[in-house]
Order: sequence, then structure tokens, then C-alpha cells
Amino acid sequence: MSSLGLNGRLIRLCQKELKETLRDRRTIVTLLLMPLLVYPLLSMALNRFLLSSAAADSSATIVYKVGIESEQEGLLLSKWLEDPRSQPPEVISKASGGAVAKFEYFNVAPETAEEALFNNGVDVSAKITAEKPPTVTFIAFNGDGTSQMCQRVLSERMHWLRMRLAEEAAAASNSGYVRPADVDVTDVGEPQDTTLLATIVPLVLVLMTITGAVYPAIDLTAGERERGTMESLMASPVPRFYVLFAKYTAVVIVAMLTAIANLLAMFTTLWAGGLLPLLTGSEGFPWMSVLHILGLLVLFSGFFSAVLLSLTSFAKSFKEAQAYLIPVMLLSLTPGMLSLMPGVKLSGPMAIAPLVNIVILARDLLSDGADPAAAFAAIISTVVYAAAALTIAAKLFGSDAVTRTSEQSISSLFRRPKAESAVPSIQSASLMLALLVPIYFVVSNGLIRTMQSLSESLSLSNQLSLNAVALIATFGLVPLVATFLGRNRYRSTYRLRPFTWVAMFGAFLIGCGAWVLAHESFVIANAMGIGGLDESRIEQALKTLDAFTQVNPLVLVATMALTPAIIEELCFRGFLFSALSKVLTPTKVIVITSVIFGLFHVLTGNALLIERFIPTTLMGLILGWIAYRSGSVVPGMVLHFTHNALLESVAHYHKELTFLGEQIDGTESHIPIWILLPCLFTAVVGASIFVMATRNKPNQLPT
Amino acid sequence: MLKVSSLSKTFALEQGEIRAVDDLSFQIDPGEVFGLLGPNGAGKTTTMRMVLGLLEPDTGYAEVDGVRTADDPIEAKSRLGFVSASDGVYPWLSVREMLIYFADLYAVDLTLAQQRIEELSAMMQIQPLLDRRAGTLSTGQRQRVTLVRGLIHDPPVMLLDEPTRGLDVVGVQTIFDYIDHLRQLGKAVVVCTHRLDEAERLCDRFGLLHQGRQKHSGTMEELRSETGRQHLVDIFVDLLRDERSSDLLQKQESI
Repeated sequence: MSSLGLNGRLIRLCQKELKETLRDRRTIVTLLLMPLLVYPLLSMALNRFLLSSAAADSSATIVYKVGIESEQEGLLLSKWLEDPRSQPPEVISKASGGAVAKFEYFNVAPETAEEALFNNGVDVSAKITAEKPPTVTFIAFNGDGTSQMCQRVLSERMHWLRMRLAEEAAAASNSGYVRPADVDVTDVGEPQDTTLLATIVPLVLVLMTITGAVYPAIDLTAGERERGTMESLMASPVPRFYVLFAKYTAVVIVAMLTAIANLLAMFTTLWAGGLLPLLTGSEGFPWMSVLHILGLLVLFSGFFSAVLLSLTSFAKSFKEAQAYLIPVMLLSLTPGMLSLMPGVKLSGPMAIAPLVNIVILARDLLSDGADPAAAFAAIISTVVYAAAALTIAAKLFGSDAVTRTSEQSISSLFRRPKAESAVPSIQSASLMLALLVPIYFVVSNGLIRTMQSLSESLSLSNQLSLNAVALIATFGLVPLVATFLGRNRYRSTYRLRPFTWVAMFGAFLIGCGAWVLAHESFVIANAMGIGGLDESRIEQALKTLDAFTQVNPLVLVATMALTPAIIEELCFRGFLFSALSKVLTPTKVIVITSVIFGLFHVLTGNALLIERFIPTTLMGLILGWIAYRSGSVVPGMVLHFTHNALLESVAHYHKELTFLGEQIDGTESHIPIWILLPCLFTAVVGASIFVMATRNKPNQLPT
Repeated sequence: MLKVSSLSKTFALEQGEIRAVDDLSFQIDPGEVFGLLGPNGAGKTTTMRMVLGLLEPDTGYAEVDGVRTADDPIEAKSRLGFVSASDGVYPWLSVREMLIYFADLYAVDLTLAQQRIEELSAMMQIQPLLDRRAGTLSTGQRQRVTLVRGLIHDPPVMLLDEPTRGLDVVGVQTIFDYIDHLRQLGKAVVVCTHRLDEAERLCDRFGLLHQGRQKHSGTMEELRSETGRQHLVDIFVDLLRDERSSDLLQKQESI
């Protein structure tokens, strides 16, 4: 088959998918009808909102209706308010648009002032007592913006009048009154307001694009199965990726058409409604901005279609696909909302956060231009995400059309199987991880809160012990329960296999040297600015270090070295390792477990300790390699323990260790070379011993 | 033309392992119709999926027109035609568009595909349907479209999975004519079914599957002399009875 033939074929495959989805009535509804209906409605709502908020500072004069109970009161009130001295000074009136409110008076008798207000005839009612001086009472309606505003204006006007009269009297009586100062105001710079509209517009467009892509994505994947065409499709001699690529192309095109339809409808309505200047700050039709946003929407369609397909390919029916998609759509609202917040900039993690980066980039393009570097990062990362999602989709699509095990339902994930098995299934491992994340989040947050509230009464030893208990309750207990429920054999699940003492000695030596690596990678990451350790963080770390010197070293080692070594190894290099080894190559198992290991260390309480990712992932790689070569979880425990114990000892004795020259307690200083080299040497010797000891049986993974 | 040798497949289920297909071998020559028979769950579909290259066998192999499915699944698939009772259609495409789509999936040249569509639709009498939307077809019409679709790339081997399921007398007769036609064309045909009476009329040779194992195989004559029974139904009843009594025996032993 020539490549040209394949291209023609691929194009025809794409055409078929596109025909199929574009002829479907339901696609057309979201594609055309929605934008035609949504935007005029949205524009009307916006119009109201923007006009009413703009009214307060526009130059148009507002007329308030004031209710009075008698003609005399009305005359008195109008005499006061017509007096030019009741008007605010120019500086103040300029700030609020320069307009001075006017008032109309209505004699509401025989109703009382309150009744008139309730009957919605007037904005504010006024009562004036007959004493000398009289008291004016303004009655305003709680919860009504206009009424409250009118009341405020009236009160202010009365105050200005009193002040001016007092000032005049003071000046006339020659009492030596001198004004403290005259006030004038000068504005410089361009007026800058990122209007709400500039953020709402991209967000709405993104959401509409999602809506447009959802139906075709489900229909072309899960729909294949429901129509009963999946099996014949899988039986045909086309690589699965081609079929999926054709579907992807169709979904992207529909998403893009939806985006274009929405973009046109939106800008037309904004233009027709006279709201465009509010968005762009200029009168003309913003062709460039529209083109920019269109480009972003193409990018976004490509990204989101891939994500959708990776989810819908997994589903066996329309219903199932919808169940997967609803949480995703809700989730994608969250970053959208985040981008609505003022002060959120396209930089750092925001530039590569999926979805958020596109919305922020669109907002920047609409208002004041985007930073090219950040825009580039946003575009590249989005393309990468799309490619990753598409690969997953290609793997999933049709895969369970042919396997019997897929007939299990979700509930079977929770049912205890009747037969014992050696290691956890991949489903049970992912479920365990999925549960571990929220449990860990709740426990570690709860722990931090408890510690904060009890910090006076709780000694550091007790805090550390509590920490260890939390570790056991999460990383210890959750996999244990999963193992029990999955009826997996504990020995093989946790990889509690025999090991040689020589291998263990090698691991011990590596541990003796590896702590310097952890320290150095931490320092290097920090120097490169990846860590993001700010002053307060460092100060806190130093304080903790100081406190560590007070703790009994045995407690320190037991809670910070022994417990993590046992529990984390059992969880990551035991449970997770054996589950993944069932389906992945050893290299992939090692990399994936160490990345998960690293990520869990990043997620601590509410904070993201990004600086911990690199050292812990590196450590995870070493531990994974040890676990793989030795076939057992135990040597890794020894390494982990030695490593942690040495790090904590350094923390405990860091004052005594100042003779080492530089202080090694901080986060910025490198370890002196004369410590670094012996440590590295020890690690290398340990590694060699370990390799020799495990040479004969490098692979004892379960089959 | 189609050779299946010592195929085995085991599934790991929650309840333990299931040996879906156990050491299955058969061979089909051109112009021959082979009936792969058995009750539901006998392993027919699993066998078919392994032949189609959708499932990888634990042991053994399937060879289509000299190509092993495990070695080159794409090439093997292109020499197979597949028709299943559960086959659906794309409701929004016209019949012709759908047939062209499958021709593209099977890498049939476009002009050749159009020519074949004309020939096959004349044979299966679906010419008036060609430009109708597939979603508007009746069950019988859809079945004929599916049969045309399976032959669009003129494969030497045809697999038919429960082809008569859910069909009325007319539909079943269409299938009979179709299989006759395939025999005349010299195709090697596998028919998977649990309709034993129909199979008896349709097939030249039989493989009787029960719990993943091939219990009997051969022509109707051979089966009759081997089992002393006249009809496939009776042979299966014997098989089921044997199973029940052996089950009973096991239970008694365990007591």
C-alpha cells in the first residue's frame, strides 16, 4: 500500500466520521442553535448588569424620587438641596463622574412615608420634624441598591450643606478660622481596567467549545459500541490509531465549528449591543483579537477533544460516557473560575496548567497583550497534553470490545473475590491510589490543624509521633485494606521475599552515601529556582531544625526514619510495585512508582512543596532499582532507613557539626567537598556490592 | 485455507480462572463450510476472536491463507471476512457510504470497491437501498447489507458469528443462499452457531465444542457412526448428560 493511498484512505476515513456526526441532528443543535440562542440572552443579561453598574459613574444625571408627607416638608427639603452649597466639591464630584443627582418630590399623603416606600412609588421617603433645628429622617429600603444610593446621596448633600454653612459662619465671625488645605487631584497614566467581560468571554467560549465537542466524542466512540459496529471495526485490517485519528479529526472539526459559530455569534451580539468598547476599549471591530482567540480555540479544541476521546473510549455505552464526562466538565469549570480572579497571571505553574493557561492567555490577548514566553509555554504544554491524551485514547479505544474481563462492572472493584491471587490487579492498585489521595489529604490537613491548635501543649516528640501514626494510618492501612479486600497473598503483594545479607549490606552502604545526593539535589533545585522556597519557608525550616535538637534522637529516628522506611517501602515498593509489575516492564514500574512517590511528598497538607519532588523522585528511582534487583522489599527499607536516619541526625546534631566548616543545616549551602566525596564513594561501593550480590537473580518479579 | 492449531485461551476472572478454549484444532479447505457448534459459553466467540487476531492465544496459532494472526494481524485480518448477528450500521450514513467506508478500512481501491458494490448488491438485492440512510432500514434489509459488507474485499476466508440470530424464515433462507453462494465461490467458511438444526442443513463438517474443548469433529456421517446418534441435538444432549453425571459423581465423592 503506497503512502499516498494511505493518505487518501485516511482522508476518506475522516470524511466518514465527519459526515456521520454532522448529519446528526443533535450535533447541529449544539453547533448552531445554542450560540444563536445563548448569546442574545447572555448579551441582554450583560447589558443590564453592565449598564446598571456603569450608571453609577457615568456622566448621566440621575433623578431620584423622594417621598414626603406634606407640602411644607417638600419645600424645605428642596430649598436645602437646591442650594449650590449642598453640592459636593468638584474634586469629589469629578471622581464619581461629575454628575450631580437631581430629586423629584412626591407628596405621598395620605400614605405614610414608610408605606409609600413599600408600595414602590419612591426611592426614599423623608420626614422633617418641627423642632428647631429640625431633624431630617431619610427612610430607605434595605436591600434595594437605588434606594440605598439615594439615601447616601441625600445624607451627603445635607452634610455638605451643613459644612459649608459652618465654614462661612466661621469665616464671617472672624474667629481666626483658617482652612487646613485646599485639595486638588491629578490623574496620570492610562486608565487600566481588565474588565470582567475580558475574562468571561474566553471562559464562555471555552465552555461552549466543550459543549460542542462532547456529543460527537461520545457518539463516535462509545456510540460505536452501542450501534454494534465496534466488533466489525476492530476486525478490519486498520491500525486502531488510524480509526481513532479519523474520529479525533472529526471531533476537533466539530469543536472548531462550534467555536467559530460561538465566536461569531458572541462578537456580533456584543457589537450589536454596543458592548464591544467595554471589552476592547476601542470602538472598531477587533479583528485581530478575534483571530487570536480563534487560534486559541483551535488549540483548545485539539486539546479537549483528545481528553474527551480518552475518556469516552473507555466507556461501553452512552450513559457510561456521560457519567465520566460530567465530573470532567465540572472539574474544568474550576480552573476557569480561577482565571476569573484578578491578579492571576500567565506565569509559572499557571502557564502550563491545562485549560487555565488558555483562558488566561485569551484574557490577556483581549485586554493588554500576552507575554510571548508564557504564551509559548502555554501552547507547547497544551499540545503535549493533547498528544498524551490521544495516545491513551488510542490504547483504550476498542480494547475491551475483545476482552472478557471488561464485563465486570464498577461494583466488582469493591467486591471481594472468591479466589486468592498473588498480587493486586492494576484496577485495585489504581483504586487504592485514588482513595489514598483524598484520605492522605484529609489526614495530613487534619494533622496540621490539630498541631496548630495544640502547639502549646504538644511537645515536638509527640507531634512527631502523631505524624508517624498518620503515616501508618494512610500509607500503611489503605494498601493493607486493599490487599485484604482483594484477597491477595501478603507475601507476594508486599514482596516480602528472601534476600541475601550481602545485598542488604550494599543497600545499607548506598543509604550511608545517598543522603548527600538528596541534600545536593535539593540545593541545586533551589538554586535553579524550581523549589520556590521563600524566606518564610526557610525560616520555618530553620526553626524546625532548631527544635529538632531538643528531641530525643531515638524518637527522631523512630518517627522520621524507621516508620517511613517500613511503611512507605511496603506501600510503594511493595504493593504498588507488585501490582504494576504484572502489566509493565521493570523500567516503567520503577519510573512510575518513583514519580508517584515524589508526588505524594509534594502534596503535604494544604501546601505544595514542589521542591521536594526532585529529591524524592530520585530517591524513588534508587529504591525502585534496589527493589527490582533484589526482588524483595527489605533491602530498600534498610536503604530508606539509613538515608532518613542520617539526614535526621544531621538535623539533630547540626550545631555540633558546625566544625565541618560551613553550616549544613540551611537549604542553600552545598555540603563541603571533603564530606561529599567519601559519601559518594561509599554509595558507589555499596552499589557495586549490591550489584554483585544480586547478579545471579536480577529478576524475581512475579509472572 | 484456515488452519487452527492447538489454540488455548484462559481468562482470569474474579471467581478464578476460566479455560475458555482448550487445545482446539481444525482445518478448513476452500469451498468447505465448517460449523463451530456449541451451547452458549462453549468458547465459540473466543475462538473466533483469536482467529480474527483480536485476542492473543495463550498457546497455538490460527493461520489465515498462510498468514498467522499473531505474526501479522493486519495482513491476516485483510484476508478474513466477518459477519456477526450483532452487527450494526451507521445510522446517518447511506448504505453506499457505509460500504465504501468498509472498503476503505479493508484498503480496497475505490473504483474496484464501487464495482464490487454494484455486483454484490445485485446479488443480495439491495440496489434500491444503496442511497437510503442506513438508520431507516428494516432488520432484514440491514442483514443483507451486513452480508454484502463482509464480502466487500473478496476475502478467501469468511467467519459468520451466529448469522441467523433474531431472523425470521425469510432472513434465515437468505443466510442459507448466501452460504451456498460462498461455497460456490470457493471460500473457506466458518459458521459459529448454537442452532444445531440449521447447522445440520448448512455445514459440510462440524466441530462440537463443550466447555472449551472439542468433543467431536467430522462430517455428519462420521459423527453418526462415532456416536450412534442421528442428529446433532442428540449428540449434545448426551454430552450434557455426561457432564451432569460426572458432576454428580464429583459431588458424591466430596461427600
